[in-house]
Amino acid sequence: MSTVDLAKQPVQENKSEPKPSKWLDAYHDPVASLYTFTQCITLSDIQADGDWKLIIADLGSGSTNMKLKVYKGTDLISENTIIDLPTGVVTFYMDTHEPRTPAIAVASGPFIYIYKNLRPYFKFTLPPLEVNSMEEDLWNQVKEGRINVYVLREMLEGMRTDGTTLTVRSLRYLQLTDAGDMIQFCEVYKNSPLKRQTVITSLNTLKKSMSEDDAISCLVLGTEDKSIYVLDPEAFTVLATMNLPSVPVFLSVTGMFDVEYRIVVACRNGCIYTLKRGVEDISKNCIELSSQIVGMERLNKTIYVACMDQTLKCFTSKGKKMWTVKLPKSITTIEVVDYKPRGFKAILVALSSAEVHVYKEKYLVDIIKTDDIVTAMRFGRFGREDGTLVMCTSSGGLLIKILKRSASFEEKDMSGGPPASQNVKLNVPKKTKLFVDQALRERENGVTMHRTFQRDLYLLRLNTARQYAKALSNSMNPISTDPSEPLKLSAQIQGIGPTFKLTVNLQNTSLSQASTKLHITFDYDDKLYNFRRTYIPVPMLVPGLNYAFETYIECLNDKGVSDTVKVYVLRENKSVPIITGVISMPVSETLVVV
Amino acid sequence: MGFLSRLASLFGFKKNEANILVVGLDNSGKSTILNFLKQGDKNVPVDTVPTIGLNVEKMKAANIEITAFDMSGQGRYRPLWEQYYKECQGIIFVVDSSDKLRVVVARDELERMMKHPDLERRNVPVLFFANKMDKRDAVSSVKVSTLMGLNEVIHNKNWHIVASNAINGDGIDEGITWLADVMKSNMATKK
Ligand SMILES: Nc1nc2c(ncn2[C@@H]2O[C@H](COP(=O)(O)OP(=O)(O)O)[C@@H](O)[C@H]2O)c(=O)[nH]1
Ligand SMILES: [Mg+2]
Repeated sequence: MSTVDLAKQPVQENKSEPKPSKWLDAYHDPVASLYTFTQCITLSDIQADGDWKLIIADLGSGSTNMKLKVYKGTDLISENTIIDLPTGVVTFYMDTHEPRTPAIAVASGPFIYIYKNLRPYFKFTLPPLEVNSMEEDLWNQVKEGRINVYVLREMLEGMRTDGTTLTVRSLRYLQLTDAGDMIQFCEVYKNSPLKRQTVITSLNTLKKSMSEDDAISCLVLGTEDKSIYVLDPEAFTVLATMNLPSVPVFLSVTGMFDVEYRIVVACRNGCIYTLKRGVEDISKNCIELSSQIVGMERLNKTIYVACMDQTLKCFTSKGKKMWTVKLPKSITTIEVVDYKPRGFKAILVALSSAEVHVYKEKYLVDIIKTDDIVTAMRFGRFGREDGTLVMCTSSGGLLIKILKRSASFEEKDMSGGPPASQNVKLNVPKKTKLFVDQALRERENGVTMHRTFQRDLYLLRLNTARQYAKALSNSMNPISTDPSEPLKLSAQIQGIGPTFKLTVNLQNTSLSQASTKLHITFDYDDKLYNFRRTYIPVPMLVPGLNYAFETYIECLNDKGVSDTVKVYVLRENKSVPIITGVISMPVSETLVVV
Repeated sequence: MGFLSRLASLFGFKKNEANILVVGLDNSGKSTILNFLKQGDKNVPVDTVPTIGLNVEKMKAANIEITAFDMSGQGRYRPLWEQYYKECQGIIFVVDSSDKLRVVVARDELERMMKHPDLERRNVPVLFFANKMDKRDAVSSVKVSTLMGLNEVIHNKNWHIVASNAINGDGIDEGITWLADVMKSNMATKK
């Protein structure tokens, strides 16, 4: 297991030239006013003409304008109003009639609406749940006028606090505060029978007994009452009911109902459960996550989960964690890419930074930038093109991109994450005899070697300190150590000889204090050199400025000999110089030539 | 006399062997165009060459050979169709003008074709059929031309675009005549 923190290592943009996009822009309508999420988009050949349609359950405003929309290419060809908020859309084959047109199923409230040939065909209602007997009794008493509205309210309130799941009617009633409203509410509803309905949270399909692409499929629904229902596609009876510890939110289904199947369910408690045919104990391969789940997809035997803590996690079907990737922004939705013609498998991760990151395993291989946050996306065949990506944005835009046929996704494309070379084994050479002997010697004489080293180190330090002390006592250093005389000296020799020019630079390094009464003089071998000026009076030095003083030196020797020359900076009436500069004179050139 | 025989006679010189490629995405109408061309030429057979993954149709009349194939999405068959580039003297690129989603894919394929070493430096005329113009949701040939970026994508070749209906033959005559003219003058200058 490894963790790659992308937040800390921002993806390096290719500075030289931007890579050509791997996607073709097929269509963009920023004002399509489509508001939806990934579970409410699907692509399917619903007219059996090889021209796959885009089917979207549009959430509208969330309470009005909810519609089932079907697009042929970029044209809207059908619209059907949906009464309640849609929570999922799938297409499935419900019969064996020719031509093989799949039906559309839309989950909304406690109902599944089935559409065939773009027309409403059937409505399935989830079986009602048992009503709490005490709650039923209370409403009966209201009907018979034995208790008043206040008592009813108080009793229901008490039941709710005790954790009883109440009917929608009771919950509505508890929202009322005005006595008049309460009386009116009771009058309107007291005579109709009390029912408890659940709501569908997620929808998927499961092949019945054959595995062909156009085989008949069952519908699998997750509901708010923590159950999974499997529906028979022909009779619309409940084939199986399974209970979960929490409310299911995402379903991933494989296999066949009559043979062997596996339903992976992501629940609102942050756990992922696996339901299998004939296995009762669902806690076995449970995956517990530390954060809420915002999306779950499956590619063969691996489960990809996007969490609210900006992570994408990968698990084996047995629940073993493979890796985690931290994303730079929060995830809005994920989608799986299984592009068979090119054998390209990947996970698309939409982020709140209006980007879609493409992950091949744990490696970021591409980034699609959009002009708005993507809230819903589907990859698959649309029209006649296999690699189409349909995206809806938070402001209602519709974007369609087609994977370029020449696109290839390389792990090295994006430098985020560990480099691929990390997994390459180094070619470590074999141990030589010399290496073995040395290692042996080091092991045996470790202590002596260390001591020798330490002694030499101390000697070196001692020598350094001695030389330094000597230099200080002779003022042989070019920077003054006396805080009352903050001076810096540097000297330069110019020329090739026999006459050289010596420039002495003096700088007062104090902030405010001027230096006065200074003199420059030189110490040299007068058999070798002749100085034109051996004494230079120094004017007052203003802090910070650099003063240059010059003199000419003549070399008297023609044997190519050179010596050092010392520059002293002295204060009036003091014999010890404040600073000293030592200059190695170069060999006089003309003499060498001669 | 069918179209194809007429096309053959347009070239005049008997000895000239001319190869024409008919390309485009699947479903753009290539087979339909081929079928239209051979109408009246009862004795012209349309061969479907059985190749794995690539459906090639060949048609021959007198000194002209026409080869058509789908530019399919499956990358590994690309070399199979690209081998025809070398030998061709004329190209017919068929675009489904009612498939607005896939015009970008057709453009991408055209770009790759124009950059192919066997075509890049050759002056091969390219005829575009903005096909299925009879369809209600079809866009005009001018729109197809801009969406395909013909001005930007084709540099050193003659090209021409004609709106067509492969089912009743509208526009086919005009297009083929243009192509035959250019091919003929190209061959004359070569001599
Ligand atoms: N309406 C209309 N349909 C056409 C036209 N040309 C071809 N088609 C239809 O488009 C479909 C695909 O044509 P086909 O020639 O097989 O395309 P190919 O894959 O390029 O060979 C067929 O159903 C044809 O009947 C046209 O100009 N107008
Ligand atoms: Mg064909």
